Amino acid sequence: MEPLLRLNSFAEHLGSLIDSAADRSFADADISDECFEGLALELFRLQVAANPCYRRLIEYSQVDPILVASWREIPCVPTAAFKELDMTSLPEDSRPYVFRSSGTTQSNRGKHFHFDASLALYEKSLLAWFRHHVIRGLGNDSSLCIMTPSARSVPESSLVHMFDVVRRAGGFRSAEFYGDVSIDGGWGLPVERLVLALGEWCRAGVPVLLVGTAFNFVQLLDCLTERGERLVLPNGSRLLETGGYKGRTRELAKGDLYREICVALGVSSDQIVSEYGMSELSSQAYDHCIGTDLDASVPRRFRFTPWSRGLVVSPETGLEVGLGETGLIQVFDLANVWSVMAIQTEDLGVRHRDGIELLGRAELAEAKGCSLMPKL
Amino acid sequence: MILNDLPDYFLVDLPPEATLTPTVVSDACETLKRNRRQYLVDRPTETLLRTLGLVAEKWLDREYPIRQIAMEHGEQMSGFPRYNIEKGLDSLFRGITQEALNHLILQDLGHVRRIDHPTSGDAETRTGRKSFAVGPELIAHVTGGVIPNPVITSMVLGLLARSAQFIKCARKTSFLPRLFAHSIYETDPKLGACLEIAEWVGGDDQLETPLFRAADCVTAMGSDQTIEALETRLPKQTRFIPYGHRVSFSYVTKAGLEDCNPRVLAEQIVDDVVQWNQNGCLSPHVVYVEKGTTPSPDRLAQLIADEFVRRETSEPRGSISDREAATIANRRRLYEIRAANSQDTLIWKSRDSTEWTVVFDNEPRFQQSCANRFLYVKAVDALEDALGGADEMIGKVSCVGLCASLHEAQKTVERLARWGVTRVCPIGKMQHPSIAWRHDGRLSLGELMTWTDWEL
Repeated sequence: MEPLLRLNSFAEHLGSLIDSAADRSFADADISDECFEGLALELFRLQVAANPCYRRLIEYSQVDPILVASWREIPCVPTAAFKELDMTSLPEDSRPYVFRSSGTTQSNRGKHFHFDASLALYEKSLLAWFRHHVIRGLGNDSSLCIMTPSARSVPESSLVHMFDVVRRAGGFRSAEFYGDVSIDGGWGLPVERLVLALGEWCRAGVPVLLVGTAFNFVQLLDCLTERGERLVLPNGSRLLETGGYKGRTRELAKGDLYREICVALGVSSDQIVSEYGMSELSSQAYDHCIGTDLDASVPRRFRFTPWSRGLVVSPETGLEVGLGETGLIQVFDLANVWSVMAIQTEDLGVRHRDGIELLGRAELAEAKGCSLMPKL
Repeated sequence: MILNDLPDYFLVDLPPEATLTPTVVSDACETLKRNRRQYLVDRPTETLLRTLGLVAEKWLDREYPIRQIAMEHGEQMSGFPRYNIEKGLDSLFRGITQEALNHLILQDLGHVRRIDHPTSGDAETRTGRKSFAVGPELIAHVTGGVIPNPVITSMVLGLLARSAQFIKCARKTSFLPRLFAHSIYETDPKLGACLEIAEWVGGDDQLETPLFRAADCVTAMGSDQTIEALETRLPKQTRFIPYGHRVSFSYVTKAGLEDCNPRVLAEQIVDDVVQWNQNGCLSPHVVYVEKGTTPSPDRLAQLIADEFVRRETSEPRGSISDREAATIANRRRLYEIRAANSQDTLIWKSRDSTEWTVVFDNEPRFQQSCANRFLYVKAVDALEDALGGADEMIGKVSCVGLCASLHEAQKTVERLARWGVTRVCPIGKMQHPSIAWRHDGRLSLGELMTWTDWEL
């Protein structure tokens, strides 16, 4: 069978696994380690056959796909490679959609190509895990407020596409995008309109699901501070924050951001869920399920879907670090069927038994004159 | 002598629980100025140079107790391997001799007695004048990093200028400057009394306002943002001498490569990289190599990689932070995938560690290294290709290590100078500038001075 056809049938099989896991609310060992292992190795070999750029990396690294015995040994592709190479198995004329990573110019933005089937799998994957962590237990009288621009205005954003999929999936009294795009392509948030809308939902006692980037939340907080206002979101309201300031003005450490959100919006920190995702992936990780207890005494830990695995590896040896140790985060995402399953992120994390604590970007060390700063 | 045996003389010697206050800082500045009036301002150049020469000689003696402290604790306190500190300090102190300091004064001020009293050089005699150079009353040095040489050099220059000096070090960077200050104090307590050294996190308004108010000259090393922010906080009349972000690269011409032993050249290139773990402004990020001869640029890259292998045992890099290692791991992976997909890129790297990496690339665009022995080798047809590739760095290049044949060297240097390079030296010597070096293209002693012309 043609490599592409084999990828298509792999995707169909994975889709049904995702459906059945979601139907069971991820209650039991829905995709066992053994099952994941088998699928990962199968997909790895299919991708070596179908994805020319990846195949060349495997050949260059002198890795024999047959001898790779565990998903942990599968060679990863760094996210930066998506910027300069077409990391896809799809022929050039069969890539109608593309998600681009953030960046200032087209050339330094990563490209993750999609077509109808890959988009459908991405949507299935994101919706199942989003519902499980964010929506479960939320009544259908709530209002979805999305702080990013709409999917129509930024069609190449995988994050916005995700929010749009959630919006289209329904189950809300109302659902609206509040962000916009400036002439230079930057994302804006007309905060006044959002604050008015939130005020109305508060008066009407309608629970709100407020989603956006960390920077969106900072904009909202700054606006409320400027107006000398505080809101108390109705009972049952939920917030989803996803990393990223993209070099914008004010950055806050996550703990500080959450504390300020709690004060300004009248919510408790376990009503805020954090998402970790990127355009190069088709699955996301969340730090807890809203409605479940969150141990505030320990840093939040991210858990990937049953059809994806996060691995924290030593940057020195490439091997998985011990519990409690820091390393680079790699993600093995089975839903990345037509691109590359094994992705090396630019993020550092700490490996824990129950997930990965995110430490943020491994910033490029920059020699600053004679100003190398000591390791504090 | 151990670290704790050093006398508590400078603010930085105080126990960690002692808190610095604005009053402590302003009192220290007043004391420094008083001590300068009493002990330094009228000191003849000759005796000052003798003392500085003596201090440098002590540092070169392996038995010197303060040097021993530096060697014993240096790695832990600065993060650099012991051989880095040893080579770096030896090279610095070998250059601080009475003779070299005399040459520096002559070079920058035109006459060796220029700071003692009004004197005439040739041109002044002919125009009926004498002139006298006066240094600042109090220099505040705001240091930015852990590499000790620029800080120690600044201290020596400040003493030559007869200025009192307050050295404000960034957190955890004062260790070696502090030892140097102690060696001055131990050799000549009155000279030591004109130095103060303290450590705090930069940007502390409470402590820095009294310091900047008291100083009539501020020197600063650090990132461009730090320097910009600092400048806005200084009183208008304060002389400000900034040393911002700089990078360096090497250039190997075809004829230069033909004239030399490529293995020795590879060793020298690695010497430049290994010193200060490639973290200084004099550390090369890229080696540009002209095409068209033997060995080819990629073959030279291979020889450099071979040399890095040898250094793994003779001069191991030592551990780096998770963040630095992660950056290297990610960059390597990117170049591996590029190498797999293009014949223009090659990569060599240490096994099972991030110890060293060499990336060969046929594309001349200048690439900033992520340091810690990560070197780019780029093939070019001619110098113009390299300069075109590095155009974003114009005004930011500190040093070019040059391997060229004699007949082409001068033209190459002229072209580099006009492009904006302020120092050119042989490959292998990039980390060892002369004490008389015009740092960032400016007179290092001369810039501190104010002139008084006396028309006869």
